[in-house]
Amino acid sequence: MKLALLCALVALAFIAALALGDQPVPPGEVLGALFGSENVPAPSRIIVTELRLPRAVTALLVGAALAVAGTIAQAVMRNPLADPGIVGINAGAALAAMVVIVQVGSLPETALPWLTFTGALAMAALIYAFAWRQGTTGTRIILVGIGLSALAGAGASAISVFGEPAYVQRAMVWLAGSLQDSRWEKLPHLLGWSLPPALFAWAAARELDLIAMGDDVAQGRGQPVNLARALAILACAMLSGAAVAAAGLVAFVGLAAPHIARALTGPRHARLIPAAALVGAALLLTADIVARRTAPPLQLPVGLVTALLGAPFFAFLLWKRRND
Amino acid sequence: MTRTAACALGLVLLILLVALWSLATGAAGLSVAEAARALLAPGEGRADAILWQVRLPRVVAAIVAGAALGAAGAIMQAVTGNPLAEPGLLGVNAGAAFVVVLALSVFGVTASAALIWCAFGGAGSAAVLVYAMASAGRGGGTPIRLVLAGVIVATFLGALTTAILLIDSQTLDAVRFWTAGSLKGRQLAQILPVLPYAALSLAAALVFARQFTTLSLGGDVARSIGQNPALWRAIAACCVVGLAGSAVSIAGPLGFVGLVVPHMVRLTLGGGYGRILPLSILGGAALTLLADTAPRALLSVDMPAGITLALIGAPFFIWLARSHGAVRG
Repeated sequence: MKLALLCALVALAFIAALALGDQPVPPGEVLGALFGSENVPAPSRIIVTELRLPRAVTALLVGAALAVAGTIAQAVMRNPLADPGIVGINAGAALAAMVVIVQVGSLPETALPWLTFTGALAMAALIYAFAWRQGTTGTRIILVGIGLSALAGAGASAISVFGEPAYVQRAMVWLAGSLQDSRWEKLPHLLGWSLPPALFAWAAARELDLIAMGDDVAQGRGQPVNLARALAILACAMLSGAAVAAAGLVAFVGLAAPHIARALTGPRHARLIPAAALVGAALLLTADIVARRTAPPLQLPVGLVTALLGAPFFAFLLWKRRND
Repeated sequence: MTRTAACALGLVLLILLVALWSLATGAAGLSVAEAARALLAPGEGRADAILWQVRLPRVVAAIVAGAALGAAGAIMQAVTGNPLAEPGLLGVNAGAAFVVVLALSVFGVTASAALIWCAFGGAGSAAVLVYAMASAGRGGGTPIRLVLAGVIVATFLGALTTAILLIDSQTLDAVRFWTAGSLKGRQLAQILPVLPYAALSLAAALVFARQFTTLSLGGDVARSIGQNPALWRAIAACCVVGLAGSAVSIAGPLGFVGLVVPHMVRLTLGGGYGRILPLSILGGAALTLLADTAPRALLSVDMPAGITLALIGAPFFIWLARSHGAVRG
């Protein structure tokens, strides 16, 4: 029931994303254009299906990917404040891509997800390596992650100082988190890199439930803890890499979506993962509408909007956990 | 001569040497001798113009901002009892930068004397906000809560600043280097109005160093020897706001100086803030000056000092977070 409600919410946000813009299209025409009706005037059809649809689909997928990545990270790190954005996994993905973009200039679309995936995975490994002192604690992971995130950010800025201005400008737009460069050609890569790990995580929902309870409990239930954790981190890195490759750095969706979903469906991952994906999709679709419509014709980077929306949410979480 | 005095002397010499190095480095070739001549006996020549309008402001900005941030970091660590406290990490610098950009863009304020008060206001509000967020509820602010609150506030204010600059390209042009933490293109006319405030805050920090040491021992100890912790915390906060506000007005939001330097001093010399504060001031100036000069001189890349400092400071932060016993829950 709640999932159906969330689906309806995503559909609403999706149609709004297609309808709103410099040239508003009435919702009826949007639906007509989507379903190939003959009665829709040609300009509306072109605006909806060729200009706005790729962007809306990208927002939907990126939001869902970030949300599932955040859900996995929160389970594995056992910390509700963990988020691939805050602990620097996304920053690692961005840095890896930035290094190559600034050096080479342009990249084939197929190469970018590989780069961001490698960067995300390397960052996750580094966080674990530095936070490991006879086991890890959630606190240390977050602090080390904040440090690594700052380092990756400084690294990206340093590279941009050295690089060719034209290439750097291209990389900077992408680094700020933007859906402006959404094209049909990019969608298969996004889908190919995000759908399998998301489905895998959903299929392994029970294992995630166990991981979240702690090593001892998981081991007692016969789970090969380290293998499960490694696979979960791999899935998280693939999702982060896919999202960063498609839209750059988009903050806080990975943090907020799992929390909202948990409030709706409870902590069991079998229901939490699809709910989080839907919440993430709705969040990013809405944020992108705000980014496009706040100061038209100027388009704000959507990463900026999510940061502005997400920071108060994070503050609220911190306040709510004040007695822990 | 004590070790402390020896360290202080060494730092002063280091600052002088790096300052000369910085003055002699740049696109237009000036020899060290020429630079020194133009500095000591100002004339009307080309060397004098370059030195007084381009290179000297930069050196002064690095020294003053670095000194202020070093002192601010030391005071914040003393007052919060948190080894990770620092004006950059805890969002104080971001607050100052945001209000300055807001004043420039929305209210059209351009006078340096007015902008510095904007920086103070922003630094103060951000400090209060972060402290309130971290210490809401039982148990007060633990180190991790303070850092998280600081990161959140800094991210939020940074995003707002970026938004303003994206919409208002005229202001962006004026503050591009400044918000990136670069000391390039600073004018003496922008720095001089700030100097009295910076000097006053630095003097206050030095005078009250003994009280800050007492404060760092905790409220109970402070009370037992007759100190009013609430009063001195407020005084410390005023010092931090003055220091961070001045530093940001001059050099933009530079992070990690206030984190790295006081820890280095504490590790080398140990002891109370009577020793840590003056050396943090000197060390902060030396580190910032070096961060501004070395990439330019050695790699011939004009890397913003803020980036160099983050590249040095972030690994240090990770090391602290990893090793420090105090950083728990």
